[in-house]
Amino acid sequence: MAIWENRCKVAISGVGYSKATRTAERPLAAHALDAVKDAVADSGLKMEDIDGLATYPELPATGHAEVDGISIVSVNCMMAMLKLPNLAWHIQTGSVNIGGAVQQAVNALLAGVCKYAVVWRAMHNPKGTYQNLPGQYAAGASQFTGPFGFGGPGQGMAVAYTRWLEQHNKNREMMATLAVTQRKHTQHNPHAYFYGTPLTRQDYLDSRMVAYPFCLYDCDIPVQGAVAVVLTLADRARDLKPTPAYLASYGQRLHFEVAGRIGSLSSYMLGGSSSAKLTWERSGFTPKDVDVAQIYDGFSASVIYGLESYGFCKEGEALDFIQDGRIELDGELPLNTFGGSLGTGRIHGLWHIIEGALQASGRAGSRQVKDVNVSFVGASAPIVTGTTFIFVKEPY
Amino acid sequence: MTTLSDWSKVTRPIPVPNEWTKPFWDAAKQQKLVMQRCQSCGQFQHPPYPTCTHCVSVDLKFEPVQGKGTIYAYTIMYHTGDKRFVAAVPYASIIVELDAAPGALMAGNLLDVPYTEAKVGRRVEVAWQKLNDDFTLPLFRLAKE
Repeated sequence: MAIWENRCKVAISGVGYSKATRTAERPLAAHALDAVKDAVADSGLKMEDIDGLATYPELPATGHAEVDGISIVSVNCMMAMLKLPNLAWHIQTGSVNIGGAVQQAVNALLAGVCKYAVVWRAMHNPKGTYQNLPGQYAAGASQFTGPFGFGGPGQGMAVAYTRWLEQHNKNREMMATLAVTQRKHTQHNPHAYFYGTPLTRQDYLDSRMVAYPFCLYDCDIPVQGAVAVVLTLADRARDLKPTPAYLASYGQRLHFEVAGRIGSLSSYMLGGSSSAKLTWERSGFTPKDVDVAQIYDGFSASVIYGLESYGFCKEGEALDFIQDGRIELDGELPLNTFGGSLGTGRIHGLWHIIEGALQASGRAGSRQVKDVNVSFVGASAPIVTGTTFIFVKEPY
Repeated sequence: MTTLSDWSKVTRPIPVPNEWTKPFWDAAKQQKLVMQRCQSCGQFQHPPYPTCTHCVSVDLKFEPVQGKGTIYAYTIMYHTGDKRFVAAVPYASIIVELDAAPGALMAGNLLDVPYTEAKVGRRVEVAWQKLNDDFTLPLFRLAKE
């Protein structure tokens, strides 16, 4: 495959955040609005310049009412709040996660149907139990999992991780390095939920089990919050306030196995490797060219599947790969330099995309990795869906 | 401290079959294990699905299979979020690959032994447990062989 003709024609410009909180003190719509306004202001644009909107609104909790503006923020909700005079394009995606929404915005910009697109991800933390499963019945796909106490995504992800650990004869305690290193990175990110809260290796080893092999610190903490980005064509981005992060390429690949399980067990490499292959080929880069990487970590094991399926290391080697300082800010592959979802709280992969862009544009502040050109992002759990991106500082 | 999970106070949710899955639950009620098999390529699959996930044929039939296999993957649940299962925490939820249906993976629980006995590759066999007059669940215990 030839290098993508549209490489570096679209850029991420502004980025924005709401103040994430543990509980839903303010309606989710207010968080989404904060993040969008913040991103637009970061670009130096006026709200009336925005003419494209995209999101992936899903609430990954179960057993809670879906109320627009409260538990999700749909495109319709955002349109109603912003009343954009020049709105020309909008979409909300139902698969391939928030990375898919960003990719749709890229396509719309390349097609010339909008000039400045905003993509946001807003995440609600419902009251009570996140996976609220009081029901008497298990219908649909859950009829083959619910009766056996598979109550949520944690277990769906945990079974794949257990298999990985035992097949490759690895110890779950090796994962402490990821949790501790990412929490160290978090201390450079004032927008992160765990900013100001360090984590030691002993904290990780002593923490309570949730769904073995996952302990508390293998799971991102549910929060109420939102983040947003402004995307535009590279020529326009150069006229805006921030240094642009040029999109070199992207890839996507949905990969569930059959209904009833969360994520893929027998072919867990396929989603990530298919998405990454497109991304490497379209950009002309290889994993060896990458200066900094953000890899989705809603559960810590997603980083393993990411590192392996994207090609940063071989199958079975990821827990060894993250040791010995390799993923530190000055390491060979600085990883999840904003703290990851384990540091920011559960706001899904748009945070990873934001950090990938900030690192490429040299805007990552005290956590900026030196001499970044190639910045890689895997924005979703690759055993469910691969959405991958490469941002660069220097267009080529 | 015992490591046996106490299932006696667990209220397991009742399966709601649909047109694709009814034959599985009908057979389970008779304590017979059946699995959907593609009549074109011979592949077994579970859970049941409208098309063959291997060759996309719609010529699918349920065939009886022996309830012996190995633990393919597992997790030990400690979290008490699912109130129906609180009494059993910690408990082993396992994924089993049957000898007779390679590639078809079914979920279940490991009974009668400490949850610490759940390991990838362990031999298991089906243990039927009546849920109510309409439903019987396939669970697993370590194989005697």
